[in-house]
Amino acid sequence: MAIVAQSSKFGTYGRPILAWAVGLLFFFPIFYMVMTSFKTDADAVKPEFLFFFTPTLDNYLNMAENYDYWRFAKNSVITAVLATVFTMFVGIPAAYAMAFNPSRATKDVLMWMLSTKMLPAAAVLYPMIYLAKGIGLYDTKVLIVTVLSLINLPIAIWMLFTYFKEIPKDIIEAGKMDGVNTWGEIKEILVPLAWGGIASTALLIFIFCWNEAYWTVRLTTIDAATLSKLIEGNRAPEGLFFGRLSAVSTAAVGPIVVLGWFCQKQLVQGLTFGAVK
Amino acid sequence: MSDRKLPRLLQTPAVLLLLVWMLVPLGMTLYFSFIRYVLNNLRRPEWTSPSLSNWRGFGNYEFVLNSKDFVLAIQNSLFIVVSILFLTVILGVLIAVLINKAFPGQGIVRVLLISPFFVMPAVNAVLWINMILDPVLGLQGIAVNGINDVLDNLRTMPVLGGFFSLWPEFEPISFRATQTSAIAVIMMVTWQWTPFAVLIFMTSLQSEDQQQKEAAVLDGASVWSQFRFLTLPHLGRPIAIVVMIQAIFHLSLYAEIEIVSRGNGNKNLPYLIGEFANNNIGAASATGIFAVILANIVAIFLLRMVGKTLME
Repeated sequence: MAIVAQSSKFGTYGRPILAWAVGLLFFFPIFYMVMTSFKTDADAVKPEFLFFFTPTLDNYLNMAENYDYWRFAKNSVITAVLATVFTMFVGIPAAYAMAFNPSRATKDVLMWMLSTKMLPAAAVLYPMIYLAKGIGLYDTKVLIVTVLSLINLPIAIWMLFTYFKEIPKDIIEAGKMDGVNTWGEIKEILVPLAWGGIASTALLIFIFCWNEAYWTVRLTTIDAATLSKLIEGNRAPEGLFFGRLSAVSTAAVGPIVVLGWFCQKQLVQGLTFGAVK
Repeated sequence: MSDRKLPRLLQTPAVLLLLVWMLVPLGMTLYFSFIRYVLNNLRRPEWTSPSLSNWRGFGNYEFVLNSKDFVLAIQNSLFIVVSILFLTVILGVLIAVLINKAFPGQGIVRVLLISPFFVMPAVNAVLWINMILDPVLGLQGIAVNGINDVLDNLRTMPVLGGFFSLWPEFEPISFRATQTSAIAVIMMVTWQWTPFAVLIFMTSLQSEDQQQKEAAVLDGASVWSQFRFLTLPHLGRPIAIVVMIQAIFHLSLYAEIEIVSRGNGNKNLPYLIGEFANNNIGAASATGIFAVILANIVAIFLLRMVGKTLME
């Protein structure tokens, strides 16, 4: 019993203190970035840990001028939204077919789809550049939307499939009796029923598209360049510009980190392909 | 059209798209890996466009295998990936066990912890290498300076000063150097992916058999043996999955390596492919095929594990 008493003492004081310490430690780099974004460039590079300073919004106000932020942000929003929509548009019917009309090959098809995710991007980048330049799509949003959709399609289908599997088949069958056709079934019955799952899949795919850094950086130069490209382009030790670099970084990750807070659970499903519940 | 055919046809667009997406670039990589194909060569301009008449057989593969960078890149890839896996799994298990039980503010701590995972890789690398690890302007430099200042003050103390003057000055470390840049990459990726491991382990811990645990407590099992004989075996599968998913992601790390040191002394396979591809597409493609093989070895194990639970 002594052990139980001991562990409950740890539970009352030790656990919360330690847990908060770990949480704050992991969050600290983000906090530090946000804090620095409110410093003038001169304050930001003082070689001391400056906690009290006169905050300024200049770094954010000058973001457009210093980095042309809004053009990159617009590209990020457009490509991520369109890619998410397209992925869902192709993914929902596919997952519907696999969940409600499985054949003997369904399992293998799903596994094969997953395996396309494991192809190292670096191995197929140069053929893609060659093809894209050949058909004149290099550095266009069309190309980026296509690539983002294709790299995320397997994850989307997997997530949707695991959600759809939970829906009793009878409900879908009942629709058939009423003479609803397949499109009607998806639109009138499936989508309203699985709305939560579909929304969280879309949210997660959007996050992945937004953060994608390999294809988007290497398949664009200016016209379709996203925020990943903007940040990687300013990777050089900017030295005197920590303030403005922090502001543009905060603006690039802020919305996504907040979105991420709302889909922690889906993240587990989406990234482990339903293997951890 | 029969009742079942139309619904099944609905998966064809997805299947066709993925089939083209996989086969076309991979086929081209395979093709390029067997021909001489360079971007610039004034003496042999015929090599600058892909053609079967420039067939080189396994020449590109030989060239890649004989370049000393290749061995270094494989070693470095494995060093980085294994270190990250080791750190994220150990930290992930410890933190998941720590925050799994209810305590005041558990929800907030969870949100704080998961945040790094959603930071885009380029921002992660820029933030760490400039603002945290920089030997002068980063927190590391500031901390080392602070310690040295304290030591300087201690040295002027009347009696103990003599003792402290025996201590050396601390030197900040440059993480852009050849020997240390891999460490910087490991630190920043561990920061980003430990939350992922925590999240998965926590999800799994919630399905742990509580009755079994209570029984163990009543039997007087120590906290350690509960962890060792109940929790750890329960986490076996999630650990395997975390290891494999991360292995696949981290074998293709790029942005972090590019930003930290531009690959200086710290190349991995994707980075080496990028370097070859500055001119020699043939060699880059051959390296790409090696990368595919390496990824497949990991992928086969992952697919097996996932496949088992698929139709449950």
